[in-house]
Amino acid sequence: MEVTILVQATDESFEILEKARERSRDVLDIAARLTSESQSVQRKRVEAIFKGARQTKTEITRFAATFIILFGSWLLLSGHYDLFHISIGVLCCGLVSHATHDLLFANPRAGDMRVIVKRFITYIPWLLYQIVLSNMHVVRLALGPRNLLDPKIIQFKTKLESDISMVTLANSITLTPGTITVDIRDGVYYVHAVSKKTAEDLMTGEMEDRIAHIFMEADHVYVQDTLDMAPVFVALK
Amino acid sequence: MMTKQSDDVIVKTLSRLLIPFMQIYALYVIAHGHYSPGGGFQGGVILGASLILLVITYGLDNALRKMSEKLNTILCSTGVFIYAGIGALCLVLGGNFLDYAELDPILHVGIAQARSLGILGVEVGVGITVMAAMASIFLDIATGGLPSSKEKNIQGKRA
Repeated sequence: MEVTILVQATDESFEILEKARERSRDVLDIAARLTSESQSVQRKRVEAIFKGARQTKTEITRFAATFIILFGSWLLLSGHYDLFHISIGVLCCGLVSHATHDLLFANPRAGDMRVIVKRFITYIPWLLYQIVLSNMHVVRLALGPRNLLDPKIIQFKTKLESDISMVTLANSITLTPGTITVDIRDGVYYVHAVSKKTAEDLMTGEMEDRIAHIFMEADHVYVQDTLDMAPVFVALK
Repeated sequence: MMTKQSDDVIVKTLSRLLIPFMQIYALYVIAHGHYSPGGGFQGGVILGASLILLVITYGLDNALRKMSEKLNTILCSTGVFIYAGIGALCLVLGGNFLDYAELDPILHVGIAQARSLGILGVEVGVGITVMAAMASIFLDIATGGLPSSKEKNIQGKRA
């Protein structure tokens, strides 16, 4: 009698143990699933951040952006602001932006257009200052002794990535008196410099750094970059 | 034959950025020809130049994707048709060839305004023709008078 009770009790206890084990396994499964779900959600969110940053502009937004820019230049050119001329302008801008919307925004890059425009505008005064400085240097070369002249072609590899930033650098170099961009081949710049000083100024790479900063390129993180990105992270939170 | 794409990043990027503005300037010159210097011929030449720039920098095949030789030929004759059509319309309505005042019964805007609109229409026609003629002269030189590679493919498929 007592033995059977004992056996039953043991059986029951085993069942309870079994149930508890199953329960705990379920709980563990759920926990694991939740973790993986939250992980995938997290991963998706991170991917969304990157995708949002690198989102290629769709056809329509490209068309609209081209249209707005072209219509602005039309209004600047035209000078007749009556209904007739403005409607012709809308028609012409529509035609041209339909034909060329893949040209003006051929490779939309990561990075905010507004930030780029803002930084580009702040870059212009610096460039003008550099032009004035090297202008005075070239005047000294022209009027001074002949042995200061040391024309040569220097080459350097750029860290810039997109075509628009490379062209900005090339044109900035050409605009600065004393240096002329001869060619860009596979990311290597060939620059003609008229004297040792202009070549050395160029090789410090300050201009390249500033342009990398404008277009948010290369491994170039300025303090300004982090400050500019702060509102984005706040919005994500 | 200038069928190759330019490999100069500066030329390519700058022409990519300039072509839309060239074209809008050309259309401005055409549309304001009756107010300011310029007109159909000048605007058409600028438009043609923008197409030629496209061929030089992006290669013939890419440019023909935007503006095929067939479309070019159609535009070339459409422009002449617009010009001659407006002139002939004036003739039909009882005036001389290109006597825009006779367009007033159709347009109902007064004789002076009718003349202005008639001139604008003729200029649009001239612009289209000049643009297409410039582009087709250049395309003929660039291809050496031979059919472009795309047309060759089509012909090859037919054969």
